[in-house]
Amino acid sequence: MTSAIALFLFGGLTAALSLQLPIGTLRAPGTGLFPLALGVMLMALAAAHAVQLHLSRSKAPGEPAAKKASNGATARVALFMAVVALATALLQVIGYVASAFLLMLGLLRVFRVKWSTATLVAALAAAASHLLFVLWLKIPMPPGPLGF
Amino acid sequence: MIESLQLLLGGFATALTPQNLLYCVVGAIVGTLVGILPGLGPIAGIALLIPATFGLNATSALIMLAGIYYGAMYGGSTTSILMNVPGETASVITCIDGYKMAQQGRAGPALAIAALGSFVGGTIAIFGLVLIAPPLANAALAFGPPEFASLMVFAFVVLSNVTGGSLVKALMMVVVGLIFGTIGLDPVTGDARFTFGSAYLLGGIEFVAVAIGVFGLGEILVNAAKPAAQLEQHVTVPRLRDLYPSIADLKRSIGAMLRGTGIGFFTGLIPGPAPVIATYAAYTIEKRVSKHPEEFGNGAIEGVAGPETANNAATQSAFIPLFVIGIPFGPVPAILLGALLIHGVTPGPLLISERPELFWTVVASMYIGNFILLLLNLPFVPLFANMLRVPKKVMLPLIMLFCVTGMFSVNNSVLDIWMMLGCGVLGYILRGWAYEGAPLLLGLVLGPKLEVAFRQSVMISHGDFGIFFARPVSLALLLATLAFLVFPLVRFAWRSRRGAATTKEESR
Repeated sequence: MTSAIALFLFGGLTAALSLQLPIGTLRAPGTGLFPLALGVMLMALAAAHAVQLHLSRSKAPGEPAAKKASNGATARVALFMAVVALATALLQVIGYVASAFLLMLGLLRVFRVKWSTATLVAALAAAASHLLFVLWLKIPMPPGPLGF
Repeated sequence: MIESLQLLLGGFATALTPQNLLYCVVGAIVGTLVGILPGLGPIAGIALLIPATFGLNATSALIMLAGIYYGAMYGGSTTSILMNVPGETASVITCIDGYKMAQQGRAGPALAIAALGSFVGGTIAIFGLVLIAPPLANAALAFGPPEFASLMVFAFVVLSNVTGGSLVKALMMVVVGLIFGTIGLDPVTGDARFTFGSAYLLGGIEFVAVAIGVFGLGEILVNAAKPAAQLEQHVTVPRLRDLYPSIADLKRSIGAMLRGTGIGFFTGLIPGPAPVIATYAAYTIEKRVSKHPEEFGNGAIEGVAGPETANNAATQSAFIPLFVIGIPFGPVPAILLGALLIHGVTPGPLLISERPELFWTVVASMYIGNFILLLLNLPFVPLFANMLRVPKKVMLPLIMLFCVTGMFSVNNSVLDIWMMLGCGVLGYILRGWAYEGAPLLLGLVLGPKLEVAFRQSVMISHGDFGIFFARPVSLALLLATLAFLVFPLVRFAWRSRRGAATTKEESR
C-alpha cells in the first residue's frame, strides 16, 4: 500500500506542477498538457492499485503485505551508500585516485574484508583504474592536490 | 534480395577492418563477462560502456555495444549451469536443467550446447533480419505521427503485460518513466519544464544514470543488503576435455535449437523483454513436444538448448524494430537507441537508405561476433568461469568503482553520479516493492518521442483525437492495445468466477 500512496502523491505533485505551466488547448497543446495528463494517469493507476491491494487483502487477511527485509539489511545498504556518497563528495577535492582508493577500502570493509587485504585490493584497484581510465582511455577524471 | 546480399558483402568488408574487428571482439568479450557476472546485466553493462565509445565513430560504437548485448546472452548461461545463479534474466530458465546436468557431472555438454544453440539462433535470426528489415523499412515510411504515437502506446502496454507481475504496477512504471522524460526542455517549444532553476536539469534526466542506477546499482544494493556470509559462492569449473557433447546430445538438441530459433525470432519482433519471454516460451514448448517430458527439471539437454537458442535469436531480431521503425521494443534496445542518438544517428525507416554503410556493417559484424563468441565460449569457458572465483565481496566494490567512473565520464559531471546514486536507491526500493525497472526505462527513453508524436498529431488534426482512429494502422494498433488491456481483466473476472464456483461446490 505504501508504494500506491507514494506513486499517487508523485502523480499529484506532477499534475500540480504542470498546472503552473502553460496548458494550451488541444489544437495547440502547451508545455504543461502532456505532464498534466501523465500526472492524472499515474494518480488513477495508483488508486486502482490501492483498490486491488485492498480487495486482495480482504480475501486473504492473514497474508503479509510484503516480505520484510532481513535483519540489518537497511543498515548495510545505508552504510554502503554512505561510503559511495562520501567518495563522490570528495572526488573533486582529493582527486580520482584517492577517491577510488577510499571508495574501495570503505566498501571492502563494509563487506568485512580484513584491513590488510582491503588496503591492498583498494590500492591495486585505484592504481589500475587510473591506468585504464585516465592514462589509456583519456577520461579527464578530477586530479587531486598531487596532480592525479 | 540480391541487392541486400551485395550490401551485406560490403558490410562484411567494412566490419572486417582491423578497427571494427577489434571492437567486435571487445564487445563479445565484455558481453560474455557481463553475462557471466551476476549483478551486471546487459542493460547496466551497455550503459557503463557507452562513455568508452565516445571517441569512436557511430559504426564502431554500435558494433561494440551490440556485441555486448548478444555476448551477454552467451555468457549468461555459464553461471546458470555452474552455480544455479543466472548471470542475467534471460538465463533464469537455463538454471532448471542446466544446473541439474552440472550436478550429474555433465556441466561441459550443457555449456557446449548452450554456446552452440546461441550460435545457431543468432546466425539464423540475423539472416531473418537481412530479409525482413529492408521491406519493413519501406512500409514504415508511410508512418506519420499518429501511427508512431499509437505504436509507442502499444509497445508500452504490451511490455507491461508481458513483463511479469502486475499490469497496473508495470503501467505505473511506464508513466513514471514518461514523467521523468518530461523534465528538461519542452521538445516542441523549447521552454524549461520541471527544472527548478537548475541548469543541470535543462538537458533532461541523463538516461545512462537511470539505467546504471536502477539496474546496475539497484542489483548491487540487493547484494549489499545480504549478510557478508551469504555472499560466499562456490563454483566448479569444468575441464576443457569435458566440454564436448556426445552425438546423442547433439541429436536431441538439433530440433530444440531450430524451434528455439523460430520462437526467439518472432518474440524479438513484439514489444517486451524479448529474450526473457523467448526462453520461457521455448522451454514450455520443448517440454510439450518432448518424448521424455519427465526428464525436464532433471537435466534434459533440450531444456538448455531450446531456451539458450531462443534468447539469442530474440536478441538479434529485437534489432529490427529499433533499426527499421526507430522504436525500441525492450529495455536493452532502448539503451542502444540512446547510444545511437548520442552518436548522431537517428534510427528509423530512413536509416537503411540514408546510412546503409552503418546498417549493413553492423549486421555483418553480428555474424562475425556470433562466430567469435562461439570460439570464445567453447574452449575458453573454463577461463571465463574462473572469473566467478573472485569473491562477491571484492567484485561488488569493483563494479561500484566502475559505475562511478563510467557515470562521471559521460558528461564529466559529479552531478551525474549523484543522479545515478539517487536512481540506485530508487531501483532498490522498487525491487523491494516488486516493481519492474524495464518499463520505467522504456518510458524515459520514448517519452519525448511520444510527446512530440502526440502533439504533432493533434496539431495536424486541429485538436481532433479522431485522427488516431481514422488511420488504419493507428486504429489497428490501438485496437490491439485495447485487447492487451482488456484481456487481463477478462482473465481475472473468469478466474474469480471459477474460484467462487469451486468454493460453492466445496461448501455443498
